[in-house]
Amino acid sequence: MITLTILLMAAIIFCSRYLFLEPRLPLKLSSNTLKFLSYSAPAVLSAIWAPIVFIQQHELSISLDNHYLISAVVAIILAITTRKTLLTTVVSMALFFLLRFYQ
Amino acid sequence: MSSQKSSEKPYSSHWKAWLAGALAVMPLSIAVIPWGILAGSLALDAGLSPFESQAMSAIVFAGAAQLVAVGMIKAGIGLTSILITTLLITSRHLLYSMAMRAQISPLPLKWRLSLGFLLTDELFAIIAKNKDQANQPLNPWYALGGGLSFYLTWNIASAAGILIGHNIPNLESWGLDFAIAATFIAIVTPQINRPSILICVLVSLVCSVVCELFQVPSGLLIASLLGMACGTLYAKATGEGK
Repeated sequence: MITLTILLMAAIIFCSRYLFLEPRLPLKLSSNTLKFLSYSAPAVLSAIWAPIVFIQQHELSISLDNHYLISAVVAIILAITTRKTLLTTVVSMALFFLLRFYQ
Repeated sequence: MSSQKSSEKPYSSHWKAWLAGALAVMPLSIAVIPWGILAGSLALDAGLSPFESQAMSAIVFAGAAQLVAVGMIKAGIGLTSILITTLLITSRHLLYSMAMRAQISPLPLKWRLSLGFLLTDELFAIIAKNKDQANQPLNPWYALGGGLSFYLTWNIASAAGILIGHNIPNLESWGLDFAIAATFIAIVTPQINRPSILICVLVSLVCSVVCELFQVPSGLLIASLLGMACGTLYAKATGEGK
């Protein structure tokens, strides 16, 4: 039963990832669809990071005590000024763990 | 013309492209370690054998879906419910697959299968980043480096969780999830070069927070689609980029 569950889950997840990568799938994306899809990365990635930063213990937390928020603001400033992904990530993470450590 | 052609290739070898992908995904790999440990440990806890627990990470390879499914198995919930939940959680991958269609579908079968299997949130993120910075067609070796190193990290972390078993420390309190936020902010922020993208990001951001606060199922997908729709409509309405 567990084996079956694992195999079926794997099948569903693989299909959802592979479906539109298959060239024989008769699907021609219109220019409107492509335009819409061009927004997918900023939309999805923002929808993933925002709850991590703004919600603490299941509640909205907009205050200086929220280390996630402070470090995220610093990350945004670094990203705008330097445009360097790795630098932004490493420096804001270092700040985050310093804040946690010395709180 | 030939010199121009060579300058189009950002990486001098497949291996360098592979390493660049692995490096790009590294903060996300670090962030996923606690979740991998948790996935392994919880699978064991739910009554899966060590082999089954590892197999789940190796062939399902989907963090959120695995954690939820393992919880459902433990609660004795039936197969159909587990599969429907899996479908809901994994539905965002349809979006990634569609967004990647132009770049990946012309590749040979072995590339399509391997990149398709490895197409997680994290791989999608670093491909989006690379596309933005270099404005190039996808380098499959870069994607493979990111995808495969992330896959290995996930599986090693799961194995560690299976070995540690029930004695795992309270990993959520470490705050490693900030690494995800930091990386995604670093990827998304430089991409905001038009008002419509800013609208898209702000709508997704607010909507995802609201969905999370009210525990809306598939909130991530709803927030993403709404943000994409608002960005597209804004660009259409203002004739942006024409």
